[in-house]
Amino acid sequence: MSPAARLMTVLGVLAAILVLAGAAALFVGSAAISPRAVVSAVTGRAAPESVESVVTLSIRLPRILVAMLAGGALAVAGVAFQGLTRNPLAEPSVLGISGGAAFGVVIGQSVGFGPGVLEAAGLTVFAFAGALLAAGAVYLIAAAGRGFQIQTLLLAGVIVGIFFASAITVVISLLDFNRLGGVIHWLLGNLAPIPRGSLALFAGLAALGFWLVLTRARELNLLALGEESAQQLGVNAERLKLAIFIGAALLTASVVAFAGPIGFVGLIVPHALRMVLGPDNRLLVPASLVGGGAFLLLADTLARNIVAPAELSVGVITSFCGAPFFVYLLRTRYRASL
Amino acid sequence: MTRPALAVALALALALPATAFTVRDMLGRGVTLAGPPARIVSLVPSVTEILYAIGAEDRLVGVTDFCDYPPAARQKASVGGMVNPNLEAIVALTPDLVIATTEGNREETFAQLERLGIPTYLVAAHHVSDVTGLITRLGGLTGRQTAGDALRARLEQRIEAVRTTVQAFRRPRVLYVLWPEPLIVPGRGSLVAELIGLAGGESITAAAGDAYPRYSLEAAVARAPEVILLANHGSNTGPIERERWQRLTDLPAIKTGRLHQMDGNLLHRYGPRVVDGLEQLARAIHPEAFR
Amino acid sequence: MGAPLLELNGVGFAYPASPGHRERPFRLHDLSFAIAPGEIVGVIGPNSAGKTTLIRLLTRVLAPTAGEIVLEGRPLARWSQAELARRIAVVPQGVLPRFPFTVGELVLMGRYPHAPDRYFENPADLAAAREAMAATGVLELAALPLDSLSGGERQRAVVARALAQEPRLLILDEPTAHLDLRYQAESAALLRRLNRERGVTVLLVSHDLNLAGEICDRLLLMADGRLVAAGAPEAVLEESLLGAVFACEVTVEKSATTRRPVVQLTWRVDSPNAGAAASPTANQRR
Repeated sequence: MSPAARLMTVLGVLAAILVLAGAAALFVGSAAISPRAVVSAVTGRAAPESVESVVTLSIRLPRILVAMLAGGALAVAGVAFQGLTRNPLAEPSVLGISGGAAFGVVIGQSVGFGPGVLEAAGLTVFAFAGALLAAGAVYLIAAAGRGFQIQTLLLAGVIVGIFFASAITVVISLLDFNRLGGVIHWLLGNLAPIPRGSLALFAGLAALGFWLVLTRARELNLLALGEESAQQLGVNAERLKLAIFIGAALLTASVVAFAGPIGFVGLIVPHALRMVLGPDNRLLVPASLVGGGAFLLLADTLARNIVAPAELSVGVITSFCGAPFFVYLLRTRYRASL
Repeated sequence: MTRPALAVALALALALPATAFTVRDMLGRGVTLAGPPARIVSLVPSVTEILYAIGAEDRLVGVTDFCDYPPAARQKASVGGMVNPNLEAIVALTPDLVIATTEGNREETFAQLERLGIPTYLVAAHHVSDVTGLITRLGGLTGRQTAGDALRARLEQRIEAVRTTVQAFRRPRVLYVLWPEPLIVPGRGSLVAELIGLAGGESITAAAGDAYPRYSLEAAVARAPEVILLANHGSNTGPIERERWQRLTDLPAIKTGRLHQMDGNLLHRYGPRVVDGLEQLARAIHPEAFR
Repeated sequence: MGAPLLELNGVGFAYPASPGHRERPFRLHDLSFAIAPGEIVGVIGPNSAGKTTLIRLLTRVLAPTAGEIVLEGRPLARWSQAELARRIAVVPQGVLPRFPFTVGELVLMGRYPHAPDRYFENPADLAAAREAMAATGVLELAALPLDSLSGGERQRAVVARALAQEPRLLILDEPTAHLDLRYQAESAALLRRLNRERGVTVLLVSHDLNLAGEICDRLLLMADGRLVAAGAPEAVLEESLLGAVFACEVTVEKSATTRRPVVQLTWRVDSPNAGAAASPTANQRR
């Protein structure tokens, strides 16, 4: 089967899973709403203030969309970082950027906006500022000298990540007792419904990051030949590395800003898809977008409902999946090591 | 609100069905409702306590997992924790008002509720007068003004009684341990500091910082507290904790055996039982006054 | 010689001095030579003679600081990188670490310069790749991961990748350095065949003097960044010349079977000045 055909098949399957999971997630939740009520809410036949409308359209639907978007963005960022650093352990949180964004949010939350004044946008700005700071620091460390050194990238990311983790710890230790719960809750990684405007902004930024990575998927493959060989084939290696880095950083930053720090998606989804599709980034990038969305959606639906009415953090579910998954990987020693 | 004014307002509300019912919450925000709230979700344990105390519990449809007093409150539908209440559960109860606090609930939660079109009434209490004020407000909000005023009067009486009982005595230095590890104490402007003052003690951490800051054990020891109060949170403070403090045999409090446990639920929630807590404090700080 | 494929005119290069590196940055001085289409040219010389730098200049990874390089009559600087990659293909030195792709996928990568904007390869690309794999005899291995192949097979796969670029000039950087003996022989035969049957011009950079002497039509001997000698193998592989350039004693004999020069290192294992142990081949190593 040609690569294009394989991609279409896998995308078709993943998209079907995504749509079905999304539809199913509309029907489950803490509020007991009959399937018929859900359907009438979705088709617009229910009154806008009715419980089913509010719950289905203003709580469940936005959260489902956030989960899909965040999962897809994280998975694509994972593929990008793994391709860029040629290291299977590279994932958005390792590169320090989500740490920077988290630090931004913690600062924002401890400063404490007045209620009502705080829109999601306020904290989002802080998150992005933190992410940019971290990305800039990583870039500067990795780019010291000639060009953008990939070998230093992972190290730089780890250093920056550690720095921001310590910074977060300092802020937490000084925090007012009352704010502590909220900040820690955020740091665990929880998805929540966000307003339509924020969702659109999130989608736009993620689309930009996705585009940056997707259009260079073929060149990312060539990077496996070594930068010099890729250069000799006509790839502008410096620009490629920068574009991939920016795209992946943008994806990561927007997820942390709008959805919080969620780990493991960028590691599990690309590796799982590699087992099916192989190492070709031209297949992995689009497949990860859809597959990542489905994965996080399923994880979040589980987190929302497994101990209803309480909710687990979605990060708990992804970590629980992550650990055994990696044991499995190590045991089978599959060939997807980059 | 005075009674005639209330009657007029009610008449107007009944006569003009479209009239809004607007109040100001404790943060000064205007909260507009269609009428007096009949389905309230309380995200604050102290508010739940007050609503029961003034007999307004029939208007209460949802509480948090932490709303455990009075025990009857546990029968109400729970919407989850204070930090992460379940939005769907709240919406499913079709509340016309949610009462929340800036000390314990998240701003994100208020924002979400606002977006869902559910009015939110915010409370925050830093002083004893805020607590009594809150009782009056909730009374007005739920049409239980009389009961609210009566409760307030009784509580203020008891507070005054404690104050006069202890005012003749010298104020011992008191260390109040909100949390042992890390050591968290009541600081400037905190409710507990004020209560200690009313109970005739002098909190050694009164200038330590705002609200409830962390404090070093050395600094606490250096101030030679004469009374040490360990706060319980739900369950009793373990013997390990007491032992830790008992070992500091140089402290006046330990030498005179004045290490006591306080029921944290009474002192950390700004509900009517704060006065019970005050009385407990006074007895621990000035046992001689209550023989 | 008709119109040369590649010309170097007074080419010089100096790495920019960077702190912490040796005080005298490496330089190439005044290189001038031409390569005719259809030749097999060998570049030999000690390590740090500048052979790899030369390759980098030819593929425009580096730009000369003096002189000019002309390809097919047009200065190299005026070529785009993709155009260049359609004319010149490099088989690099060494083994690719952690390369997860199959042989077929590797070879297809060589098609990139022909249509960089295409997302997937088209049938013409697939045909060219198949052809290249057939030419090097790795077509049956197309679906196998590169890492699972033997050294010789891997070498042939990499050559196939270069061939898929449909280049006029094939540059090989130390092609036999890491190969077993039998694969060295195979490699040499392959290069000869590609040159004779497909008219591919070959530029071979090697420290294996005998390989160079065996298959090359002309040799370029470099030392310390300069071109020291150029000409037929018999002329360049000359005892005193080699002795001076490599700073050791060698003898050169003519092979009875192939009539080509064979270089022999004079071992001095018993003398106190004996260098590090060398391999059984007549390769000189430092």
